[in-house]
Amino acid sequence: MKDILNPYKPEIATVEDTWFETQGDRAIKTFKVVFDNEEKRESWEHRPGQCAMIGVLGVGESMISISSSPTEGKFLRFSVMRAGKVTQALHELEPGDKMTVRGPYGNSFPVDDWKGKKILTIGGGIGQAPLRPIVEYVKANRGDYEDLTTIYGSRTSGDLCFKSEFEAMRERGDVNVHLSIDIEEEGWPHYVGFVPSLLMEVNPSPENTIAVTCGPPVMINFVLQNLKKLNFADEQIYTTLENRMKCGFGKCGRCNVGNLYVCKDGPVFSYATLKEVPEAFA
Amino acid sequence: MDSKKLTKDKFGGFVELLSKQKLYVPQMVGETLRFAPVSSKDEVDLVFSNTVVPPKSVLFPQTETLYEYEAGGTELIMPEEPEEKVLLGVRPCDARALTIVDKLFSWDIDDPYYVNKRENTTIIGLACQEPGINCFCTSLGGGPASTEGIDLLLTDLGEGYLLQPLTEKGEKLCQDAGELLVEAAGEDRQAAESLHQEAAEKIVRKIEVDTIPQKLEELWESPLWKNISDACLGCGACTFLCPTCHCFDIQDEMEGFEGRRCRVWDSCMFEEYTLHTSGHNPRPTRRERTRNRVNHKYSYFVKNFGTIACVGCGRCIDNCPVNIDILDILSQVVKEAI
Amino acid sequence: MVDLEKLKNVAKETVSREDVKYLVGWRQGTYGFRVSPHFMTKPEDADKLIFSPLCVNNLATYLTLAEKLPVPRGEEPDTRKVALMVKGCDSRAVVQQLIEKGIERDSVYVIGCPCQGVLDLEKVEEKFPGVQSPVDVQWGDDKFIINLPDGTQEVPREELLAQKCLNCRYPNPVISDVMLWEEVEAWGNGEYADVKELEAMDSQERWTFWQEKFASCIRCYACRNACPMCYCEDCVLDRLNPQWVFRSNNISENTVFHLARAFHLAGRCIECGECERVCPMGLPLMSLNRKLAKEVREKYAFEPGLDPESKPFQSSYRPDDQEDFIL
Repeated sequence: MKDILNPYKPEIATVEDTWFETQGDRAIKTFKVVFDNEEKRESWEHRPGQCAMIGVLGVGESMISISSSPTEGKFLRFSVMRAGKVTQALHELEPGDKMTVRGPYGNSFPVDDWKGKKILTIGGGIGQAPLRPIVEYVKANRGDYEDLTTIYGSRTSGDLCFKSEFEAMRERGDVNVHLSIDIEEEGWPHYVGFVPSLLMEVNPSPENTIAVTCGPPVMINFVLQNLKKLNFADEQIYTTLENRMKCGFGKCGRCNVGNLYVCKDGPVFSYATLKEVPEAFA
Repeated sequence: MDSKKLTKDKFGGFVELLSKQKLYVPQMVGETLRFAPVSSKDEVDLVFSNTVVPPKSVLFPQTETLYEYEAGGTELIMPEEPEEKVLLGVRPCDARALTIVDKLFSWDIDDPYYVNKRENTTIIGLACQEPGINCFCTSLGGGPASTEGIDLLLTDLGEGYLLQPLTEKGEKLCQDAGELLVEAAGEDRQAAESLHQEAAEKIVRKIEVDTIPQKLEELWESPLWKNISDACLGCGACTFLCPTCHCFDIQDEMEGFEGRRCRVWDSCMFEEYTLHTSGHNPRPTRRERTRNRVNHKYSYFVKNFGTIACVGCGRCIDNCPVNIDILDILSQVVKEAI
Repeated sequence: MVDLEKLKNVAKETVSREDVKYLVGWRQGTYGFRVSPHFMTKPEDADKLIFSPLCVNNLATYLTLAEKLPVPRGEEPDTRKVALMVKGCDSRAVVQQLIEKGIERDSVYVIGCPCQGVLDLEKVEEKFPGVQSPVDVQWGDDKFIINLPDGTQEVPREELLAQKCLNCRYPNPVISDVMLWEEVEAWGNGEYADVKELEAMDSQERWTFWQEKFASCIRCYACRNACPMCYCEDCVLDRLNPQWVFRSNNISENTVFHLARAFHLAGRCIECGECERVCPMGLPLMSLNRKLAKEVREKYAFEPGLDPESKPFQSSYRPDDQEDFIL
């Protein structure tokens, strides 16, 4: 079979480094992977917000958002929550182990169109993974953007991903970092409460600002409501959708919301688009 | 190229010619009629009502290996190029359905498994003379002798077949058949035409589809969906047997030390189809699933490809165990006041 | 005898009761000899109700099929009953679900419809092919009265009776809150002629027979979903983690699917025949189920779905249970 054109055929990639972001039953583990094929390593291009189908031979594949920015180097990062059969198998992988990777899939955040604007990301839990490449991209092209504000929260401090990176960002001085946890904890110096409330506390101005939110559906719903209260227009608000996926390029059928496929028309949608799509918030 | 005629005493020779490629014809497999490879020319008999399983099963098999591998290995063993095939006796509705599935499988990115097989396959249609009681192809732009998706159309004239080559593949077949065929006479063509006409008149079920895509959008929250789906068993009979349904699952399967990543038919009527790993299901009940099935065919596909993804073959009606009837649903959609 | 007036009146009264959510009965289908389950929420819906030799569907499956969605915050769960019309065979499914505690007795209101045997859809569609408009069928003495668009036909009962009814011993509902009309006399002797045919084959023949059948299965799961006794919330055949059956469609996986289902139904199948009826590929699934039912009846003198107070087959033990066949 002419395999050059075969979009189902994955590349083999090697896990270069792994670490746990969070612990517990639904632990989140980050993988830094590089393609075995040198040509692929060089030619691979992705944009912030895109996903890849990563898998373990003999177990299966899962669509995971690429949590690294292309500006970081010739590698890919995935932060994976242990939830089902495939993610359990992925969690078994250690440096040197192989995984299958195909993609990148989907559209991306239009970060280049946002140049000259203020960027506000609002994340919850594992939802920070697709937002991280935006933050990294803006950091790498810092002069092209106005303020960069990151609001991020999780249930407890132990559930926060990319913790050390937030500390480093704070030290940089050119990123406004706002962290929160839902439940009071001893020694926690930051906000206690839900992310949508922290958003109101931060009270960002909608002027020349793009707001991007990603997290659990309930959080997204309240964040959207609050952004409206803060007078953000629908066109200024972006989010990502997720659905069960198998192919990644609009054939297998299962990820549709209305006539759109999350895998190819998404995962990134402006609220203006999403408002018109049936099942988008189902 | 002009029409040809194949007298029935030469039919055996024609089948033999077709058998040079892998030839599929409708045959009884177990208790049901479906397309299966021919092993000897004696099996070929075109007297049949339409197959229960549509011919999509040859080009988009229920189970298809994407690639194989060995336990612990990283080498992917790709399947071989598909062999050339001929499908003999495809009903015009099912051939039309292939043109609809083609759109999806060559959208943006070609699906090599489908597209390679499709390009390597010749479709020999058979004009329908006894439409089933639930056929409604004429409402969807098709007909008992429609030619879309067909390379060579056969019409059974009694003592022989009229052969209408419609594409290069069809013309080539006629050339290869050489002396087996004679030029069709004007009266043969007329006979075929009146048979086509008669067949079309036998189709009693009809629906006016023009307003449906728009109506469906307006009826998104209608109680209709609950009423229709109350009786639904949530099985996959309607979707698996639909000639245009094309959704699939991808699974890794290990047997001993040998593994394969394969795709298998899946159905949007199954609860598991949209179930997230978190346990959340964006289509939690049969109501949402039924609504999606009808919308996919009559609204979403229209938006994405400009055509309704239904050819009116009637299989979903014939095979629903609880008489959920797409025409009944559509006529309710048409009638429903917004 | 069937009294349609009474059926409709009882349905109207039942669906008006405060403790009833909805009623499930039968209505004429959209074409030919088909019927559809009819869900009634208000008295007017009773106009469409029918009870005739066409009412083959076992509606007991709907007791467990309805999705149990989380109750929205601040709302009370709806604990009202589901009213269900049942024939004799159907009622045994209700009883078996009660025995297994799949449902609670006060969650269901059973409307009993003594039944003289239903039509075999395949046979009647073969005898009267191409009938598009809906056909009314009635019971006559030892015959079916079939009101076709071009005139009435009478056909001897045996000729068109459904396989499951040929030898029926339970034509009258074994459980009911209201019985619609007089009970009919049972006609079956409980023999398993079809099973004996298969038993007469040698094992190689039988294996070939089933392999051919299972090869044509498309795994649409109509058999499982129609079965009133297949109501596990998490079916072993769907599970991916761990996965017991691959999704691949081949003889091996299909065989596992059907055998797993058959064994899960041993001592539970009430022989309503729905699995076989709904199979689009025409698999003789009841031969499997009836083989196991025969074994259970002969070896343990046990029949499922008769006494709601009894214990499930697998969890009951009698000191005189046979064990000489256990290796």
